[in-house]
Amino acid sequence: MARIKNTNNIDNNELIKQKNISLDENIDELVEVADELNSGVETQIESLDDLMSRNEELSASLKETATQSESIYSSSEEIVSGVNELAASIEQVSKNTKVLSNSLDQVATAIEQSNASIQSVTSNAQEMASSAQQVTTSMNELASSIKSVSEDTDALSVSINETSATIEEFSKSIQSVTDNADNLSSAAEQTSSSINEMASSIEEVSATTENLNSIVEQVSVSIEELTKSIQSVANNSEIINQAASEAASSSTEMESSIKSVVKLTKQAEEVGHKMTKDTEEGISTAQKSIQGLSKINDAIKNSSRVINEMGKRSKEISKIVETINLISERTNLLSLNASIEAARAGDAGKGFAVIAEEIRNLADRAAKATSDISTIINSLQEVAQEAVVSSNEGIRISEDVNRLSEDSLNGLNKILVGVRDTGIVISQVARATEEQAAASSGVVNSINSIATQIKQIAHATNEQAKTSTSISQNSNQMKKIAQQVSIAMGEQGKAARDIIKAAQNTTMLAIQTKKAMTEQANALKQIVMATDSMRKNAASTSKAIAEQTLAGEQISQESNRLVKIINGVVKSMSEQSEATKQISNSSESIRRQSEQISVAVEQQAKTAKEITSAINNISKHIYSISRSNNENSKNVGNILSLLKKVRNITDTNAKNVKITRKIINNLKS
Amino acid sequence: MNINETKESSYILFSLVDTTYAIESTFVKQIEMVENITPVPNSPSFVEGVIFSRGQVIPSINLRERFGFPKKEFDLKTRLIVVSIDKRLIGLIVDKANEFVSIKQNEIQEVPETITSLSGKYLSGFTILGKRPILIFNVEEAMNLSDISQNILEKQNLTGE
Repeated sequence: MARIKNTNNIDNNELIKQKNISLDENIDELVEVADELNSGVETQIESLDDLMSRNEELSASLKETATQSESIYSSSEEIVSGVNELAASIEQVSKNTKVLSNSLDQVATAIEQSNASIQSVTSNAQEMASSAQQVTTSMNELASSIKSVSEDTDALSVSINETSATIEEFSKSIQSVTDNADNLSSAAEQTSSSINEMASSIEEVSATTENLNSIVEQVSVSIEELTKSIQSVANNSEIINQAASEAASSSTEMESSIKSVVKLTKQAEEVGHKMTKDTEEGISTAQKSIQGLSKINDAIKNSSRVINEMGKRSKEISKIVETINLISERTNLLSLNASIEAARAGDAGKGFAVIAEEIRNLADRAAKATSDISTIINSLQEVAQEAVVSSNEGIRISEDVNRLSEDSLNGLNKILVGVRDTGIVISQVARATEEQAAASSGVVNSINSIATQIKQIAHATNEQAKTSTSISQNSNQMKKIAQQVSIAMGEQGKAARDIIKAAQNTTMLAIQTKKAMTEQANALKQIVMATDSMRKNAASTSKAIAEQTLAGEQISQESNRLVKIINGVVKSMSEQSEATKQISNSSESIRRQSEQISVAVEQQAKTAKEITSAINNISKHIYSISRSNNENSKNVGNILSLLKKVRNITDTNAKNVKITRKIINNLKS
Repeated sequence: MNINETKESSYILFSLVDTTYAIESTFVKQIEMVENITPVPNSPSFVEGVIFSRGQVIPSINLRERFGFPKKEFDLKTRLIVVSIDKRLIGLIVDKANEFVSIKQNEIQEVPETITSLSGKYLSGFTILGKRPILIFNVEEAMNLSDISQNILEKQNLTGE
């Protein structure tokens, strides 16, 4: 078992080794494959890049092709239209060729017929020649006799022929003259009509010129008015200019005055504030004065009471003074009586008399003092009375003053309200004047700019006035010219009318000429006919002579000559026949050629149609190519995007392959 | 009169209608204020009435009325000068009497004729005291010449006796 196991192990080891080897080999193969894959992927990427660039080029070329195919389409449409025109012209050519062919056939048949007739003529001529041979002998004699006649006749014939030719030439010339006359007539008519047109146009021009003249006059008048108005505008603009400068100066003054108003309003504001303060102070003062007045009133009442009291006291005093006075009087009386008694007593009473004297003196002094007191008290009482009166007056006045001061307080309150309102108004005025100041500076600026503009306008109007004056002069000249033109047009009209008359005359003359010419032509035709008949007569004369020749055997020599002539005729006839044959042949060949041409033209038409159809097919194809190009460019775009995707995928493949390679390398190591 | 030229006499000065008169004090019994005059019936207009003084009834003459001057209300200055003539008392009511002076006899001049013709015997002289002109009143003549007063005086005497 162990050996078996061992051998198994050995086998297994071998197996493992083998497997390892095969694994290494596989890995190597894998590496190779991966390398190849890598290289393949790289080449694929390169080829993809190439393909993409090619594809982009293809896309660009497809776009170019599309544009070119569109232009081709448009040019092929133009070709188709051209080919159609070509086909139409070819068809016309074909038709013409067919017509030509038919006419050629007809010509050929006519030629054949003429050929046949010529041949019959030839045969007849030959027969005639043989018979003429026979006649000739008889004719020779006649011929000789006729010869002179014949010569004369020939001469006649020649002369007739000449006459005929000249007449024909004359006729031709007359015809040409007639034609010319016709031409002249038509030209004259045309001229007449064109002259009429010219005359009418001249009349129109004349009318228009008259209109122009009137218009020019109107224009001239209006230009003069314009000039006047421009002049007045210039004057007005001068006035406006002055006014504007005055306005500018006055606006500047206004600005300065507004500024001074601003200052004044500010001062007024300050004054208003002061006034408010003063008024408030005045109100408080008035209130104080009212209070003081009531105090004064009280004081006056008190003083009045005191004065009344004083008056009463003074009355009491005066009573007392009266009493004193009485006492002094009595004292005086007593002293007098004492003096009397003392005098009666004699020397003994002398001392007593002295005392009585002194007492009397005292009494006198007392009386004097009391009278002084009395006067003082009287004056005092008067003063007191006056004081009472004046204090009553004072009370009344103080009451009045009180009332007045209350009124003045009310007034001051009202003044305060008014002053406050005034302050508000003054503030508003100040603000408004400040705004006005700002606005007035703007006004000043704008007025200044207006003034400059007005100056420019004045300048421009002056220039306008100058220009309009020159325009007026020019318009006057124009007026003159227009009048001259009108006169010239009138003259032209006259001349045109004369021309018309002349042309009408010419036309009439031409018509008459034409008539005359036609008549001449008719006459000439008659002449021609006459000459023809003359010629026929000559021919018949000749025939008659020939018959005379035939009849006269004696004119055989002449008939020999005739034979000779006839032989010449025959010869010429045979030559004619040959010529006609040749003509026939050539016409035949022409016919053939024309047929060939017809065939070829038909083939051309066919081919043109084929070309048209082919071009139509081409244009269809181009259209389809264009469409398919568009689809192709779309597809190419799709392919491009797909290729980009493939590129991305291959890039990722390349990355994956590199990664795989790395892994494999790792595995290998 | 010549012997007594330097003799000096005392006079009472009284005034009547702003004229100062002097009456010799020897004739004057007393001076009183005019109080409580009792009118006397059927008396002349210049007689105001009677007064009672020191137990005596004294007839009072308004000198203004007597001399033909307009009457005047009595006042504090109005005085009654009681003169004694022939032991008879007469009250002379004057405007004022409050001075007692001494006048020398030689200082008294005679009354001018113009005034005498008018006032007659009522004036005995004329003097200047200080600068004041003063007429010397003749009491005796004034009393004598008054018949009616005489009549009154008689009546008085009758009653007095």
